Amino acid sequence: MSIEAINEQLLRAIGVGVALIDLEALSLQFRNDTFVEWFGDNDPDVKLTDLFPELDGQMLLAEMDVGGRFATETSFKLRRRKMTVAMEFNRTSDDGQKIAVLVCQNITRIKELESMIDSYSMMVERNTHEIKREKEQVEKLLLNMMPRAAYEEYKTFGVVSPRVFEPVSVLALDFVGFDEQLSRHEPGVIVSELNDVYSAFDRIGAQFGCQRIRTNGDSYVAVSGVPDPNQDHAISIANSGVRFLRYLAQRNESHPIQWAARIGVATGSVIGSVVGSQNYIYDVFGPAVSNALAYRASADAMSIASDGDFAKLVSGKFQHRPFTESESLGAIMEMPVAGQTAG
Amino acid sequence: MEKTLFEKYGGFSAISKIVLTFYDRMIDDELVGPFFDDVDLSRLIDHQNKFVTSLMGGPASFSDTHIERVHRNMTIEDRHLDRLKEIMAQTLSDFDVESEDIETILDGFEQRRAILVEKPNVN
Repeated sequence: MSIEAINEQLLRAIGVGVALIDLEALSLQFRNDTFVEWFGDNDPDVKLTDLFPELDGQMLLAEMDVGGRFATETSFKLRRRKMTVAMEFNRTSDDGQKIAVLVCQNITRIKELESMIDSYSMMVERNTHEIKREKEQVEKLLLNMMPRAAYEEYKTFGVVSPRVFEPVSVLALDFVGFDEQLSRHEPGVIVSELNDVYSAFDRIGAQFGCQRIRTNGDSYVAVSGVPDPNQDHAISIANSGVRFLRYLAQRNESHPIQWAARIGVATGSVIGSVVGSQNYIYDVFGPAVSNALAYRASADAMSIASDGDFAKLVSGKFQHRPFTESESLGAIMEMPVAGQTAG
Repeated sequence: MEKTLFEKYGGFSAISKIVLTFYDRMIDDELVGPFFDDVDLSRLIDHQNKFVTSLMGGPASFSDTHIERVHRNMTIEDRHLDRLKEIMAQTLSDFDVESEDIETILDGFEQRRAILVEKPNVN
């Protein structure tokens, strides 16, 4: 067998489609077995542009004249499979005859893998989005349970180390006759009322630099100066307390259920920490909290009770009227504006 | 937490090979192949990928409503679904999936027999 014959056999058997194109007539002079398997050889006079209707014959010829190389892709059905083939034309000369070698590489698998990657990318993107949303929900929940600074510490180190905060001010509030309210109304109604009122307290508190620490039934505790120091912690607490009462008074005018709060405020130190290893809760406790809770017990309905220490810190901005029955405690009230009398 | 089949058999990397082989065998099969004559390749791969991934507890969901909709215009008979299950079982077995896990995955196909074969929603 001659070298030419071996070469031709190799060319025929190779898994790449090869054809010789007569550029004058755009006809196919030679097709190897793979090419024939893909595109057929029924008609020896078939034109290249008939075989590949999407091929731009003019552009092919122009490219052959300029650079001598032209690449494109074509898709067709082979049995059931959609085949995609990368076509490359390379200009060659044979005794002055304008000829190009067409090499067709089967890139079907690459296309299928591309589809697979697209499919996975979409899945991953959707999952990433869902994880992000869940993370935001968890973060929101945790931020309800602890201040942002504590949350950041927890996120980074997995623990929140206890810290002493001083000086801070604490407000403790509860409702007069809460147990009677409970027996008179459906649980759902009470929860909805508390939700409404506590949400308003949270908003008012945030306005004045206070943060709710916990609620337990009708007990609402807020603090100012934790975790970020606040020079005006007592004034922030007094401002919030006075506005809590004002909000309730206004709310009572238009709501069927009347709420009368009593508030205790105190200044001092507290410890802030995440307590519990399974049920995380950021808690604040210490003398200031204990005092606020104690003063609350002595407060009249719709009044704020404090001791002299707290009163001193807010003097000039709020009035402090002694309770008749207690020498140490008094009520914190707003300063009267001009023309009004403190009551 | 117990590992899903998806994790057990190597996640996307392994599942993609299973899905592509399954896809090859399905379209070359004389009985079920004709169903794929006019189906868009990328959509088919995407559907098979998501379905197999979800059956193996991976991060994909594929609702029965969606399955019903994409097969609505096909006249699928019991023997077609049986053949599909045979091809899937062989493919999984070739990729060394344990027979117990193959049963679990095939059960996912079996559970959809009613919406694929009987087509209760066709008007």
